[in-house]
Amino acid sequence: MMKNLIYLSLFLLLSGLTFTSCDKNKNPQEPSKGKINLLVEHSINGLPVEFDKLIYENEAGNKFLLSEIQWFISDIKLHKTDGTVILIGDDGGEYYVDSDIAASLSINPEVEIEVGDYTGLSFTFGINDKKNKSHRFVNPPESFMFWPNYLGGGYHYMKLNGKWQNTSGQTEPFNFHLGIGQIYDSAAPKSQWTDLNACCKSDHCEGYTPDSKTMPITGFIQNFFEVEFLQTPISIVDGKTTEMVLEMKVENWFKSPHTYDHNIWGGSIMQQQEAMKLGCENGHDVFILSPKAIK
Amino acid sequence: MRKITEGFLIFSLSLLLFSCKEDERVEWVTTPYTFDIPFAFPTKMNIPADNPMTVEGVELGRYLFYDGRMSGRTHPDSLMSCGTCHIQANSFEAGRDHPTFQGGFVHGITGLQTPHVMLPLINLVWNQSGYGWNGFVHKDNPNTNLRNIEDFVRLAVFAEHEMNSDTTSVKQLFQKIDGYPELFFKAFGSSTITFTNIEKAIAQFVRTLVSANSKFDRYLVGQEQLSGPELNGFMLFTTEEGADCFHCHGGFGNPLFTTHLFYNNGKDTVFNDILDRFAVTADPMDKGAYKAPTLRNIELTGPYMHDGRFATLDEVIDFYSHHVKWSEQIDPLMHHVLRGGVQLTPPQKEDLKAFIKTLRDDAFLTNPDFGRPNKFPDDK
Repeated sequence: MMKNLIYLSLFLLLSGLTFTSCDKNKNPQEPSKGKINLLVEHSINGLPVEFDKLIYENEAGNKFLLSEIQWFISDIKLHKTDGTVILIGDDGGEYYVDSDIAASLSINPEVEIEVGDYTGLSFTFGINDKKNKSHRFVNPPESFMFWPNYLGGGYHYMKLNGKWQNTSGQTEPFNFHLGIGQIYDSAAPKSQWTDLNACCKSDHCEGYTPDSKTMPITGFIQNFFEVEFLQTPISIVDGKTTEMVLEMKVENWFKSPHTYDHNIWGGSIMQQQEAMKLGCENGHDVFILSPKAIK
Repeated sequence: MRKITEGFLIFSLSLLLFSCKEDERVEWVTTPYTFDIPFAFPTKMNIPADNPMTVEGVELGRYLFYDGRMSGRTHPDSLMSCGTCHIQANSFEAGRDHPTFQGGFVHGITGLQTPHVMLPLINLVWNQSGYGWNGFVHKDNPNTNLRNIEDFVRLAVFAEHEMNSDTTSVKQLFQKIDGYPELFFKAFGSSTITFTNIEKAIAQFVRTLVSANSKFDRYLVGQEQLSGPELNGFMLFTTEEGADCFHCHGGFGNPLFTTHLFYNNGKDTVFNDILDRFAVTADPMDKGAYKAPTLRNIELTGPYMHDGRFATLDEVIDFYSHHVKWSEQIDPLMHHVLRGGVQLTPPQKEDLKAFIKTLRDDAFLTNPDFGRPNKFPDDK
């Protein structure tokens, strides 16, 4: 009996030393860390998108279907009450989202974030001008998003592909592609125009004339934009991952402040800065951020 | 150039194995095969974990690729190898000028024609999206026998429209051919030939077939300038309001000149082919969809489309300009469909073709490492 008590005492003593030792190893100055995970959902009228079904109608009254959505989100930031902004990761990162790739719908920066209560989150839709350079991504699927150098280089911010029912009742493909826009020199003499085809029949096609000529491009316009949720409380908890749902309300790309009509802009807009501008201005209220869980 | 050594994947082998004589020990050592990743090419490669690239495996694979006894037969009239149809000078397709396979339509040892025309063997080590016109061989396939290039070797041996043979005959035949057991030992550590190792060796060789030295590649790194028509063709290639080829066929940012993905490009309005993408996905929107092949060396790889309906590049460009057909399944990227196509003018068609011809890689077409060996292992 006595022997057992001695063993028990030794055990408790050693255990105590071990715990004390662990506590001493922990640097009290070192802040606790947690992570964040954005779960992406694509919706129309509050419900998950049903792809390839001609069941939707946009603000302009165009009946449409969606086939795929591919886009970049980058430079995710957390905001504090004192106005401090924390970029998640040293360079903010760029994340490719693809409605056909389930794994891409979970944006999980493997970056440890200081625990605490944050007042909001913001990110860049697309990629900013400093980082959006050709050959930044050499591996697919990101590399498949490249934006031709002739049109400004870098990468598409988004490919939103689908079809709409045009004024003739025909189902016509549209490529709502957003990226770097071009400035065409409408004052250049025709002798300087390039012999590039003019399939774009919209009256709004910039740089084109009916005789298959294209005006010279004199500059480019960065269309990426910031999306901010500055009053969405987010708690980062020690050793946990805070999950937030990032919902893209697809119908809003065509809704406000501009009513976007496919019959006006046609099926392709990579060379129509005016259309991309409308799209990007509509993009500010396309997203909703809401809490999901802390795991 | 970034140099990536696939040898990282390889547990450098140095095993001591017993040979036929029990007391004699033979050391088996393999040399990792290294890839030089060309400028702007992907760094991620599709190499199965159970078939790391070795110099010895590639050497063996090259012999097997060109050895007509892969048909499992030895009679001169019954020989057939991968190299019978996959001809280096034609970018590893038969080519329209082939003396036996007229018009480039290949058939097997029995005379049966293949269901689809050939696809080139170029840069397949960077294909992550499935092999074949409909991608039925892909790395996530629940059927573990249909996952990679290795499996195509077995399919080719079995297929009536190819070698019409069996794996047992093939492996037993090669076991008896002088020189091969030693090469298998060097590559895989066993001189007992298995069909699995035959598959692995040929797949390793095929993965070495890298094309990255065309005129366009040299333009990409600033070593050579494109001509005026070629540059205009390049602009047409990479603009939506031009020929709009780049979304499916790559370009400056995707020098593979393919996405390896599958598209209904508007060739037909009714889809009866049981080997289209729908056969793989069961998605009705994939009816009539096929892989967008690489455009590298495309001038040599006619006839074109999965069924070889177009004999020349001119016919293909005409199709995309004026004859694209609408169907419910048409890919959204074919946004010019209601106008019948991209409406290129005759000079624009010539410029586009001039650019596409800059993708011809003569160094690839004549690289002796990819060619038929001068001697086979049993040649004296």
